[in-house]
Amino acid sequence: MNKMTNPHRRLQKELADLKSAGLKSFRDISVHDDNILFWTGLILPENPPYNKGAFRIEINFPAEYPFKPPRITFRTKIYHPNIDEKGQVCLPIISTENWKPATKTDQVIQALIALVNDPEPEHPLRADIAEEFLKDKKKFNKNAEEFTKKNSEKRVD
Amino acid sequence: MEFILDFFRSLFNTMLALLSFGKKTVKNTLNINVKTNDQVLNIELDRSLEIKEVKEIVSEKLGVSTDEIKIIFAGKELTDSTTIAECDLGQMSFLHAIKTKRRTEKPASMPLITVEEEDSVVVPVEDHSSKPLCETLQDLKLVQNDENVETTRKAHFFVYCYFCKKMCRGKLRVRCCKCKECAFTVYQDPRCWDDVLKPSRIRGLCESNEDHPCTENESGNSPFAEFYFKCAEHSLGLENDFAVPLKLVRINEQNVPCLACMDVCETILVFPCEFRHVTCLDCFLQYCRSRLLERQFLAHPDIGFTLQCPTGCPNSFIDEIHHFKLLSPEEYDRYQMYATEEYVLQAGGVLCPRPDCGMGLLVEPECKKVVCQNGCGFVFCRDCLQGYHIGDCIPEMNQIDMNRSCEYTVNPNNAAEARWEDVSTAVTIKVSTKPCPKCRTPTERDGGCMHMVCTRSGCDFEWCWICQTEWTRDCMGAHWFG
Repeated sequence: MNKMTNPHRRLQKELADLKSAGLKSFRDISVHDDNILFWTGLILPENPPYNKGAFRIEINFPAEYPFKPPRITFRTKIYHPNIDEKGQVCLPIISTENWKPATKTDQVIQALIALVNDPEPEHPLRADIAEEFLKDKKKFNKNAEEFTKKNSEKRVD
Repeated sequence: MEFILDFFRSLFNTMLALLSFGKKTVKNTLNINVKTNDQVLNIELDRSLEIKEVKEIVSEKLGVSTDEIKIIFAGKELTDSTTIAECDLGQMSFLHAIKTKRRTEKPASMPLITVEEEDSVVVPVEDHSSKPLCETLQDLKLVQNDENVETTRKAHFFVYCYFCKKMCRGKLRVRCCKCKECAFTVYQDPRCWDDVLKPSRIRGLCESNEDHPCTENESGNSPFAEFYFKCAEHSLGLENDFAVPLKLVRINEQNVPCLACMDVCETILVFPCEFRHVTCLDCFLQYCRSRLLERQFLAHPDIGFTLQCPTGCPNSFIDEIHHFKLLSPEEYDRYQMYATEEYVLQAGGVLCPRPDCGMGLLVEPECKKVVCQNGCGFVFCRDCLQGYHIGDCIPEMNQIDMNRSCEYTVNPNNAAEARWEDVSTAVTIKVSTKPCPKCRTPTERDGGCMHMVCTRSGCDFEWCWICQTEWTRDCMGAHWFG
């Protein structure tokens, strides 16, 4: 039974699959410091006000992966009701209660991109932005667009 | 001196012989114990021999004619044309030779099972009523009508063997539930795990004593078969050397990928859920380990301390806890410790509060003075878990003051610095945790919102970090994020 430990084998495979899939909205995927449990990548949302920038995220896989969910953090600052100042994001698919070991990272990424494209103000991490989103969409769009211009990375489309 | 040398030489030779015996060279002969009505004959048998020839050998030794002998093995009377190789006999296996005056007619097979079980793992192939059991059973096709799925002929059984201390290949055997003798033939092959594992499902004929055959009851019904498993990887030549079947472990004949690592492995564990989710054994163990570390095993009232399908399917508890024996001995010890603690807590007991003790103690509900019996001997108050005292419980801080008052005065700051690590750990735990309002498990909040879910498996109480009561919509509105 001398083989690579489980999370590693599965993650190598997932990484290879994701890279070869060549997603438009998730690029520049790399493994941090040769540690297969620590990935980074760039999110390229399609919907305004975020479609002018790219956002770097970190994915941390626990040693018990896939029996415990990965954690996602935004390294690029983003003006979004569901992502807080520390870059923490509340994504149901990777919450402890909902996590299924058969869920693959590309599904997680798709869910994340969907959340960035279409915020869910009902379950906010930043109540102030959520309120603005619901009450004054114009102002929200303006703020978010400016914030994106100022803070996000360049898109290499 | 010579004598000693000779002794060692012979010892060396014996060891060599043992070694070569241990190697898996396919020997063409098997050393078989043939158990007759009153004695055990040890015979070397060639694998290619037919039962007819075995009968000849045995009859000669017993001094009877071949017609008067029946050979019974694993619940079947073997026909003359069956070969030794067809039975899953190992070294030192037992065959049963029964002297008989007449050929017993098999009673017309009777409908013995009324409930159709879905949990079948083995199905009989056509009609091989006189073939050995291992030949008539095969691994079940998960999709009954799928003709493309190739099935191997023989059933695979895996057992946990206490002698080998690991998972081994297993052998299915049958004996009479009344006299426990193996000279017993079944009327019907088992069709599913329940037939094998549950008592009183398949009847048979006990042939251990022809003149007074065993009966189930006064009215003379045939006795039930008792199935059991043996390890196929060691042989002590003992009849009662049993092993525990691991019914969820199977050969991956359909090449189902593991739900966790996605690899297609040879041996897999099939969870007892509706979808029959599959993990490889490595991932199964990893799953057990991660759940064990987080104390997420559940104390099931009927099964014991167990886990369900990692996908969270309903009614998917592993109902044979020997599957957890596949963990390392240290991990299994931890499993047993947690299981015991959980049992004690659920039964209303207490755990000894002394560090490094933690003995589970079952005490009468009204009893306040608890003695750690068979443990460290500490006598403590059930309510405050401090040393036993008369009168009301006193909060811990006041207690320190009281102790001090009768001695000399110590600068409180110095006292706070001069603390041995155990105490400060206890203090850290007290400061950084809050107890679950329902089960009192000390809980640490390391970030996120105020909505807490108790981490103790089976409690899962949802509570508010601020109010320290049940989580409500008001909490969500007022201070969800602090």
